[in-house]
Amino acid sequence: MKRLLTLALAASLVLAFAASAFAGATYDQVMKDKVVRAGIMTDSIPGAFYNAKKEWVGFDVDIAKAIAEKLGLKLEMVPVNNKTRIGFLQQGRIDMSLSNMTHKRSRDNSIDFSITYFFDGQKMLAPKGKYKSLKDFVGKRIATMQGTTSQLNVVNALKALGDPAPKVISFQKESECFQALQMGRVDAWSTDSTILLGYAAQVPGKFELVGKFFSNEPYGVGLPENDSKWRDTINFTLQDMWKDGTYKKIYDKWYGPNTKYYFPLTEKIELWP
Amino acid sequence: MINRYLEKTWVQYLCLATLTALLVYYFGWVFDFGYKFDWSVLYKKDPSYGTVLGDMLISGLGKTITISLLSSGIALGLGILFGLGRLSQFKPVNWFSSAYVEFFRNTPLLIQLFFWYFALPMGLPEGVRNALFDYNYEMVAATLALGIYTSAFMAEVIRAGIQSIPKGLLEASYSSGLSPFQTLSKIVLPLAFRAIIPPLGSEFLNNMKNSSLAMVVGVSELCWASQQIESLTFKGFEATTAATIIYLSLSLIIAGILNLVNLKLQIIPKKSRTIGHTIADIVFWPVLTPLAAISTLLGCCFRRKTDGFNLTSAQAARKALLEKVTKIFTLIWKTVFIAFFLSIIVMAGIGLSRFNFQVIWDNIGTLIYWRFPNGSPNEILWGLGGLSFSILMSVIAISASFFIGLVVGVGRTSKNKLFLIPSTLYIELIRGNPLIMVIFWIYFFIPILTGAFLNVFWSATIALTVFTGAYLAEIVRSGIQNIPAGQFEAAMSTGMTYLQTMRKIILPQALKQMLPAIVGQFIAIFKDSSLAFVIGVLELTFVAQGLNNRLMIYPFEIYTTVAALYFICCYMMSIVARRLERKLSTDTFRLQM
Repeated sequence: MKRLLTLALAASLVLAFAASAFAGATYDQVMKDKVVRAGIMTDSIPGAFYNAKKEWVGFDVDIAKAIAEKLGLKLEMVPVNNKTRIGFLQQGRIDMSLSNMTHKRSRDNSIDFSITYFFDGQKMLAPKGKYKSLKDFVGKRIATMQGTTSQLNVVNALKALGDPAPKVISFQKESECFQALQMGRVDAWSTDSTILLGYAAQVPGKFELVGKFFSNEPYGVGLPENDSKWRDTINFTLQDMWKDGTYKKIYDKWYGPNTKYYFPLTEKIELWP
Repeated sequence: MINRYLEKTWVQYLCLATLTALLVYYFGWVFDFGYKFDWSVLYKKDPSYGTVLGDMLISGLGKTITISLLSSGIALGLGILFGLGRLSQFKPVNWFSSAYVEFFRNTPLLIQLFFWYFALPMGLPEGVRNALFDYNYEMVAATLALGIYTSAFMAEVIRAGIQSIPKGLLEASYSSGLSPFQTLSKIVLPLAFRAIIPPLGSEFLNNMKNSSLAMVVGVSELCWASQQIESLTFKGFEATTAATIIYLSLSLIIAGILNLVNLKLQIIPKKSRTIGHTIADIVFWPVLTPLAAISTLLGCCFRRKTDGFNLTSAQAARKALLEKVTKIFTLIWKTVFIAFFLSIIVMAGIGLSRFNFQVIWDNIGTLIYWRFPNGSPNEILWGLGGLSFSILMSVIAISASFFIGLVVGVGRTSKNKLFLIPSTLYIELIRGNPLIMVIFWIYFFIPILTGAFLNVFWSATIALTVFTGAYLAEIVRSGIQNIPAGQFEAAMSTGMTYLQTMRKIILPQALKQMLPAIVGQFIAIFKDSSLAFVIGVLELTFVAQGLNNRLMIYPFEIYTTVAALYFICCYMMSIVARRLERKLSTDTFRLQM
């Protein structure tokens, strides 16, 4: 009897502890620990990837480093993928997520987003010289990546052009889409243009981007839901980085005219007076 | 005092009911999940995307069922072929079948899928490739890969089933004057069939669950659909729950059908027939009646020719000619097979010689230990990854799950409802779902329950442990039930308690019997660790994909190396398992005086 009671007591204690140990204001937490934990992808070239020396580099990595530096914090980089980035934010495993996250209203129900820190749009990557405009892709097979918004965008774009049942195949990884394109399984691969640029640069002269942008992909920093102090901090930091030129420097390092992934910067991030 | 009450069934049920009520109350009202449930994502039209996302689950279910059915057919056909091939007297057929079975059993399905989908078409001529691509190649590749993978397991089941026929039966049938063909069709196959059906059935079930992996080559099946909904709305909990419920019901339906087949096959006296037997009879009536009718018809139309001892000279000449023709045909087919066998070896050789071995050599370290020991301090285990990570995960999973398996397995054999029902629930719930679903669940749930986040490595390892635990529990249960009941009774009558009997008499014997099965499970879990890539664990498959991502133009080299690494590890383990089996099998036990 006594043993049973002790067991029950222990069990209830554990559960009570579990319930109370959850969450806390991110800003206070970060400033107290002097550490900011950022979720960053590992396989998005040139956003964030492991280079040949197995170092973790990329545009998102540098942005995260700059944010941490501006705030005077130590950066802890946590690898995420398109399956884990949201869960990690919700669970408090990371304080911010810089991982190709397109801001969508449906997604805003679960987490918050910063202002747009990168402007991208969707395009088609296809073998060189074969297609001229988006119209040429009606009835063709298109690869996309699962867990991104690209798939529905392609379906909708093709439907609008008069394709009754678009043939869209979605894979788990970008490399798989590219492989499918290389072996001719699909006629084109569609996703955010910077990702496409990164891959096209690997086999120069074989593939090209075709047509106009057919979707708007504003990337935001993913942030924990309902934590306005932390969200403001990140927004202000991003704007400061734009103002003092840090942003431009990082941008040019990865997307500038002297890089393999040249992508002209045509828009401005939102600046509050 | 408490013990005496607890022996009463109604007290056990009452306890269970109270416990359930408490849990429901706690998780329904008291506990803060830190998560807003919104089930409407499944049935309401989503404003951002303009579709009802739940529809994806329905069409995904359709694809899952199609793939499962088609690949089961392929698996059964190839399984019979290679199962018999392994028993063949003709050595090249035997070698080929063994190589086939060993290779496909000892590499992860995931790697095989990647191979069939991404690598194979690159090896084909352009025209063939384009013809292939005009069909739905995702489905074709996934179905083929699943069918071939499952067929390797089925071949083993069929071989073991046929070999389990006692030699005495064969001798008896030969000595009673039956021809080898008659012995096979009248004695061996009907008997083997009964022994084969239950394990074959569980392979069908596994096949259905494995179809969830088809999502990695872009087939929009059930698991893919739930993933898609999750990534579009970030409502992972709701989507995964829906998919889990569908998988569970599918598993239950398949298990139900298998149960009916088992009942149908049982040979029992009329008076001990239960309602289940009658249901089985009714269900299989439409299938079996036409078959029976056909065989009666055939029996009427084609009388068996009987060879007399006194042949006319014409008959004798015909018989001699027929024999000669048969012999020539056998020779031809043997030559063709050897040519085929050799050509495969040569082709593999040519393929290998074209490899860029420098790429493999440069990256083999990355594949085996990743960044170890130069990882950053906040990385788990100094940046370990790749093959050693997979091994580590499976070692942890198997050691921890052994205890789960032991406890739950013993609980499953207990008469006390308080242990029996939760154990059964655990086993059925876990075994009814694909591992990939369990991985998602643990990944969602552990942080919510404990409030602490886990490295994905631990999350995946816990999932593997929970998953293996359920399978080990079944192994333990069958091990315990194999021990003759007399031993239990004898132990109890000498005054031992239940626990003492288990610990001192039953389990030591049962564990010895279970050892080969446990090693088999270890192989399975090592291969399954490849699935942890979905949540981004740096194990072998994930590292390989990352490499492939960066190098881009060497998929053949990388996937072959990865397959070889998995194969070497699994094959070594299966050699150990076979040794154990031989050592422990009772046949080699000799009583010495």
